[in-house]
Amino acid sequence: MILTGNEIRKQVKNGTIVIDPFDEDQLNPNSYNYRLGDQFSQVPELLSLGHKDHETILQDIPAGGLQIEPGFIYLGNTYEVIGSSKYVTLLIGRSSVARLGLFLQISADLGNLGPAHKWTLELTCVQPVIIYPRMKIGQVSFWVPTGDIEEYSGSYTQYDVPTHAIYDLLGKTQ
Amino acid sequence: MILTGLEIIKQVEAGKIQIDPFEGKQINPNSYNFRLGATIKYYINDVLDPKVKQEVRTFTLPDDGYTLSPGRIYLGHTLEIMGSDYYVPIIKGRSSSARLGLFIHVTADLIDIGSHNQWTLQLYAVQPIKIYPGMLIGQVTFWQVIGEIQRYRGKYQGSMGPCESQIYKDFEPSS
Repeated sequence: MILTGNEIRKQVKNGTIVIDPFDEDQLNPNSYNYRLGDQFSQVPELLSLGHKDHETILQDIPAGGLQIEPGFIYLGNTYEVIGSSKYVTLLIGRSSVARLGLFLQISADLGNLGPAHKWTLELTCVQPVIIYPRMKIGQVSFWVPTGDIEEYSGSYTQYDVPTHAIYDLLGKTQ
Repeated sequence: MILTGLEIIKQVEAGKIQIDPFEGKQINPNSYNFRLGATIKYYINDVLDPKVKQEVRTFTLPDDGYTLSPGRIYLGHTLEIMGSDYYVPIIKGRSSSARLGLFIHVTADLIDIGSHNQWTLQLYAVQPIKIYPGMLIGQVTFWQVIGEIQRYRGKYQGSMGPCESQIYKDFEPSS
């Protein structure tokens, strides 16, 4: 089951869901609009999965906007710290942004139960799009799971900046 | 929890889900296939600035089809008016059109509860692909909610045909 906006507000107030900062105006009937953070990182070309021989270069998104180009992946993150150990988060786009052809995720919208952090977003666009720091860029929904909960213990939650891929597809950690 | 196809039929008959027109044969085991409406829009500008109200061109899909080009975002719409005040709709592509590389939304599959419209589809083709008016282009699922319901009263309510982004309103100084 998916939480309504009213239920999200209730669970934020009692601490079961973390959305920080939380602004009532960003609440939707069954989701919460999150903002884009202040920094981005570009994914180098010809990147093999999981390799670590490049440095993450973080750049500020200028207040006057950053034009992103089709054919590339840009990593951003949520301005808010978001998470829950009780409800499963799904991080998706907003239709207002989608109507401009801006992807927020690359078929990986499912979050893990566990510690709250600033989530990395995978931005790619169909036509060139301008992004602004702290614009309301996507939405997050929360879902009731069934079964015993074992919280995520992977390393991505320790990062509050746009973070490149750490694990390779063979399942070996680095 | 997700509604089964038989439950969707029951809730349509009970008036708790709106799918209009509704065709029994478009029901799947746990979703409903919707059709593509005839109107398409695309932006005149190449670079899309969310702070600026974007002008669009509008045209009607010919019966013998229209080829979408990669590199452009097109706005289409569902033929059906759909919505629910009780269940959350989530739209999906159909695997049949997905296998041809056609996106029908751009990471925005979640519909607000209480939003009743012809829903706007964000069409993006990886390779050139031909689309036809009335084709079964996507599917909608319905999900049970937990918590008190407050229905959608936003800027896209009641829209017919494709509706271009209204995000520039986010940047207007609040009065």
